[in-house]
Amino acid sequence: MFFLNLSLPEFLAVLGSLSAGVVALYLLDRMRKIHTVATLRFFAAAEKAPVLKHRRKLQQPWSLLLQLISLLLLLLAIAQLRFGSPARASRDHVLILDSSAWMAARTGQTRMIDQARAAARSYVRLLPASDRVMVVRADVLATPVTLFESDRQKINQAIDQTQPGAAPLSIQEALDFAQQAQRLHSQRPGEIVFVGAGRVSGDKAPSLSTPPNLRTIPINGPSEHFGFRKVSVRRSFTDTDTWEVFVAVKNYGAKARSVPLGVQFGGAPVGTRRFDLKAGAEENATFRFKTRAAGWLEARLITQDAFQQDDRAVLELPARKLLPVTVYSTEPDLLRPVFTAIPGVQATFRPPASYDANIHDGIVLLDRFSPPAPPAVDSIWMEPPPNKSPIAVRNTEKKVKLKNWRADHPLGAGLRAKDLEFQNAEVFQVQTGDIALAESDAGALIVARPGKPKTVVFGFHPVRSGMKYELTTPLLFANILRWMAPDIFRSWELTAGSAGTVDVELESETNPSTIHVVTEDGKPLPFTVEGRTLRFFSGAAGIVRVLTGDRELVYSLTLPQPGDIVWTSSSAKHGLPGRSPAQPSSTDIWPWLALLGSLGLLTDWILFGRKQGGAAAAPHTLHRLPWRKAS
Amino acid sequence: MKPDPLIDSIFLAKLERLAIQWRKSFPGLVGGHNISHFAGPGQEFLDHRQFHHGDDLRAVNWRAYLRLEKLFLKMFQVEPRIPVRLLLDCSNSMTTGSVSKFDYARKLAAALCYVGLVRLDTMCIQPFAQELGDSFLSGGGRHRFIPAVNFLQQLKPSGRTDYFQIARQFISKYPQRGLLIIISDFLDDTDCERPLQFLADFGHELMLLHIWDDEDRDPPWEGQLDLTDAETGSTLEIGFDAAARRNYTVAFDEFAKSIQRVGLRNSGRYVGLSTGTTIEEAIFGPMARSGGIQ
Repeated sequence: MFFLNLSLPEFLAVLGSLSAGVVALYLLDRMRKIHTVATLRFFAAAEKAPVLKHRRKLQQPWSLLLQLISLLLLLLAIAQLRFGSPARASRDHVLILDSSAWMAARTGQTRMIDQARAAARSYVRLLPASDRVMVVRADVLATPVTLFESDRQKINQAIDQTQPGAAPLSIQEALDFAQQAQRLHSQRPGEIVFVGAGRVSGDKAPSLSTPPNLRTIPINGPSEHFGFRKVSVRRSFTDTDTWEVFVAVKNYGAKARSVPLGVQFGGAPVGTRRFDLKAGAEENATFRFKTRAAGWLEARLITQDAFQQDDRAVLELPARKLLPVTVYSTEPDLLRPVFTAIPGVQATFRPPASYDANIHDGIVLLDRFSPPAPPAVDSIWMEPPPNKSPIAVRNTEKKVKLKNWRADHPLGAGLRAKDLEFQNAEVFQVQTGDIALAESDAGALIVARPGKPKTVVFGFHPVRSGMKYELTTPLLFANILRWMAPDIFRSWELTAGSAGTVDVELESETNPSTIHVVTEDGKPLPFTVEGRTLRFFSGAAGIVRVLTGDRELVYSLTLPQPGDIVWTSSSAKHGLPGRSPAQPSSTDIWPWLALLGSLGLLTDWILFGRKQGGAAAAPHTLHRLPWRKAS
Repeated sequence: MKPDPLIDSIFLAKLERLAIQWRKSFPGLVGGHNISHFAGPGQEFLDHRQFHHGDDLRAVNWRAYLRLEKLFLKMFQVEPRIPVRLLLDCSNSMTTGSVSKFDYARKLAAALCYVGLVRLDTMCIQPFAQELGDSFLSGGGRHRFIPAVNFLQQLKPSGRTDYFQIARQFISKYPQRGLLIIISDFLDDTDCERPLQFLADFGHELMLLHIWDDEDRDPPWEGQLDLTDAETGSTLEIGFDAAARRNYTVAFDEFAKSIQRVGLRNSGRYVGLSTGTTIEEAIFGPMARSGGIQ
């Protein structure tokens, strides 16, 4: 005999409280009552028995006893008293259904997920009707679909709606979640059942800790498979018009295979390669092709296997952006070599007379002249007239020596030239917020002013001086252009991978505050940085952008990864149970207890309670008496 | 705040056709509606008698004289206007019970007052408890009803009942005989039968309206009771069970019977009314059947 809903101490506590309440109400009901009446003459006539004798005696003890017994029966009904052993009571099982990408693989005419759903339904059918089941979908995340539910229709509906996702399986997370759910929400833990292929990464399988109540129902998938591990595209560091394509392919099967690879851009072949891979081997290939246009890059393994989702990868490549620079100069040939040396810049040279203040794109360079209206975009000024300079000129010096560069700012990165002397140079008056890029003893010779628009003013002409032959000159202009238009010069890399945890190798130790990891709809994604490794997690397929200063990495997490090995547990039970794991042998008697309790209360009311109320409600009027009619 | 009206206008309309009735013949002013046994200047023929010197020649039956050659005088029934006095119990015992007997008595008094005023009777409302209180005299039609209601509404129950005292005061205050309607629970710890008998013996016609609450007749309680008398403040501790309740009810019914005997013994009327009975049911039911109001 045991209680299903309450433990014995809880039952006794509730029963004691309620019994005390009933006895208190009983005594309260039978305690001396104070009333004011019209006259005492009739009470005096009615008084028969001694008063004090009644006060010390319980009145209607059978009523009290009947109420307490009825209360006990009702409480037993609520506690769901059962006869039998508690071990045979209903259990709470967790059914983990593998919904990783590999479950979309076909074996014959059916997918593996169909077989897994059928096996899960078979398991649920074998359970006793009182057992409860929580359905959990497991890919890289463990997602509960139902709570512990005894409604078989809801459970089967949750099983039938399970579809393979795009992420690999993370079995440890699913098992941990199942154990935690049983620990926190289960009344009597049953089994943790894993139904699926169980393909996991090779580095995770050995460290798995399996719960003792685990049962696995393996779904056997195709043994031979060939697929992409990684596809990535980035611009060449040497030539920005050239794309470098990196492809990693793996033979997941047990036999050596030879599979050709074809890479196309916009439908035109870019390269082909044949991979001859042994069982379990992985190989890489690199292609280069040149284009400025945007388009779709498609990498395809020309093979027929059971899992085709990772045989093809399509990446969208953007067009190369050019930074327009409009140079107003009377000597364009002086500056032309400077801008042709910087890739990604489209320089246009115009005479100062054709100055247009309405240019709204790119950068404007003003060579030794001051326009009537300042440009609306970022601008570079060279030796502006002292009275019309955007940054106030303090004085003009002769034979000025450049003393140092502002090396701690991106504008001065890599600038090392020293001992540069200028015949004439304007010295600027630096204000708060201005960046003195180059300084002499007299003061700032190059000043940058942040804000909108950005402005850089030279107090000398770099190409008309000795600086013309220094490497510093193109580097200085490259820094200025990069500072003014960082998006144009940001390196871009696109990688196709699978959802889950993604590790990104950074070029240098970067301040985490300058790193942004956002999804395709612009929402920030949490990440961690350890040394030069950035790590983020995405549970769903999609695009994630990682912005690290001058580098943008785009991850298209749409390439499914089937996992390297099939996980098996030696300690777990395997397959469907031969018989029902928990046969109900206890008997539900709570309806009878509830009925008896209600009958007891009804009997008490009929025998004892109704009398009081009935006496009060009995209408007796003297005018209905026979002698009343004589009047 | 304006108090609630004792009686609504719909019920008043139903009372229009009623009249307070009495059995005795009282000498009174001409103009009433009850026929008296006294001969006088009425409309209804009563009897003949021998003509005596000085009689009104207009009442001589000349047809009889032509046939018998003797003078006979026709006598007519007088229709006097009799004073109707309402004695309203305002003692503390009227406040006990689940429904206030005092409110019930006031409503009943208001209804009877309206019936009397409509028939041009002279109505005197006389509250009492230990002694007679200030009375309210009204007559001359229904337009005098509102002041009567106002008077009833401002009454407050207090004190204990002393029927000996009020009988003595009433006889000395109202020497003219008339109809005496007593609305009370008649719960006087001494005795109320003898004072009522005094009033009847003095010549008043009694209409006893006995009001009680169901709690007064059949107390709903059981167990150990601490009881306090509403009028005297005396207390009683008692074990009250079903048998005691039966004895109580029997004693109460005996008491009601004794009051009824007093009323009927002196050609009066007795009506026992529970507060569970509505005023309308009381007027058109027990009171109409008793003949006190028709």
